[in-house]
Formats: sequence, C-alpha cells, structure tokens
Amino acid sequence: MQTPLQLQISLHGQPFEPLKVLQRWHAQGQGPGQPACCAESQFIGRVRPTAADGSTLEALELEHYPGMTERQLEALAQECCHRHGVLRCLVVHRIGRVLPGEAIVLVAIGADRRGAAQRCGQDLLEALKHDAPFWKREWRADGRGTWITGNTPL
Amino acid sequence: MDGCADSPAIRVRLFASLREQVGWSERECKPLQAPANPAAIWAQLQLPGDPSHVRVAINHRFAALDSPLEAGDELAFLPPISGG
Repeated sequence: MQTPLQLQISLHGQPFEPLKVLQRWHAQGQGPGQPACCAESQFIGRVRPTAADGSTLEALELEHYPGMTERQLEALAQECCHRHGVLRCLVVHRIGRVLPGEAIVLVAIGADRRGAAQRCGQDLLEALKHDAPFWKREWRADGRGTWITGNTPL
Repeated sequence: MDGCADSPAIRVRLFASLREQVGWSERECKPLQAPANPAAIWAQLQLPGDPSHVRVAINHRFAALDSPLEAGDELAFLPPISGG
C-alpha cells in the first residue's frame, strides 16, 4: 500500500525563519509511524536587494487571492508529489510586504531517493511560480511601485 | 456605470495591476445575456484591452474565457502571475 503523502502548506503575513521551520518539520518527520525520508531537498528563496531595472529595492509586495491561492498550492503540490512518488512536502510562502533578504518561499521535499526529492522540489517551485495566484510589486526608495509580470530566469 | 443590472448574479473580482487599472476590486454583475461566460462579462463591464491577456478563474479554479457561468459564481480575472 502506498504511504499517504504528508503535505503542509502555509501562507505567512509576517517574516518566517526558514531554518527554524525546517527544524520543526524535520522533527515532525521523526515520530512513530512516520515514513523514512532518507533523501530531502530544500529550497529557500529570498528577496533580492535590487529591482528588475537595477535600482535599489525598498520592499516587495505579495498579493494573493485568498482561498484560491491555498487551493491551487495544494492541487499543484498533490499532483507533483504523486507524480514523483515522494513522501513529505512542505510549502511556506510569504504574503504582504517582504523586505530584501527575507525569505519569500520555502519548499522542502522528503523522499526515499535523491532524484525524486530534487526533481519534485524543482518542479513544484516552477509550478507555484507560474500557476499559483501571487502577484509581486516592487517598491523603490523613491516611492514608486511596479507590478512584475512574469518570473525571473531559472 | 458598468452596464450591470441591479439584481446580483455573479461576483466579479479583479487583482493586482488589473484592479488598479480599472479602479475597483469586486462587484456583483447580472449578465445581460444568457448563457454568460467570462468573455461576455469582460465586454459587459467594459474592462480594458483583450481578455486573452489575463487568466480566468471560476469559483477558485482556472477556467476558460468561454466557460459557462451560473448565478452565484465567483469570477476572477487574473493578470500575469509572479509568485515564488
């Protein structure tokens, strides 16, 4: 029988410390009855200090569609995790005003093998960048804000 | 005005750059024609430009411009997504 996927998804309106979140997630995976994840992949994305035009970035604003964003993240994660046959999945995403250097996204995967863990993490990150309703606006020091259309290069 | 009749039927939501360009985020709209679809609502509300440049969601699921709408549906027009 296939082990059921352990999926955790959360949106944070305040800064989160990805290493602490990962530590908790890892500890939760050590309890009795937990699947043995001998391969883990983690990705932490942080806000760059510069805007798309090279000027200094004051902050990034993350808008989302309450209800649909959570639902779509779950659907993308379920599909991706089942396709790669992984055991555990953690997605944490910031919303609201995010400062340069702060973590904006964390994706962690627990699997039996490194290939599945790494491929699933990469695929899920790309999926959420393109198919989860989030919108970024760059705020510059001069008070100007610009909505970003599209994603940064891979 | 936006060309919508009084009695609410479909909730229309706009986000990010589209919301700011148009100047509202949410309103109720009774379709002038049945069966309604997102492309017809876009035209009825006189939203700007070509709707093929946005994505459509009905009740929190991605849909097409010609997907059928029913009374009580929540229709959202989503400008290009940039998450992660």
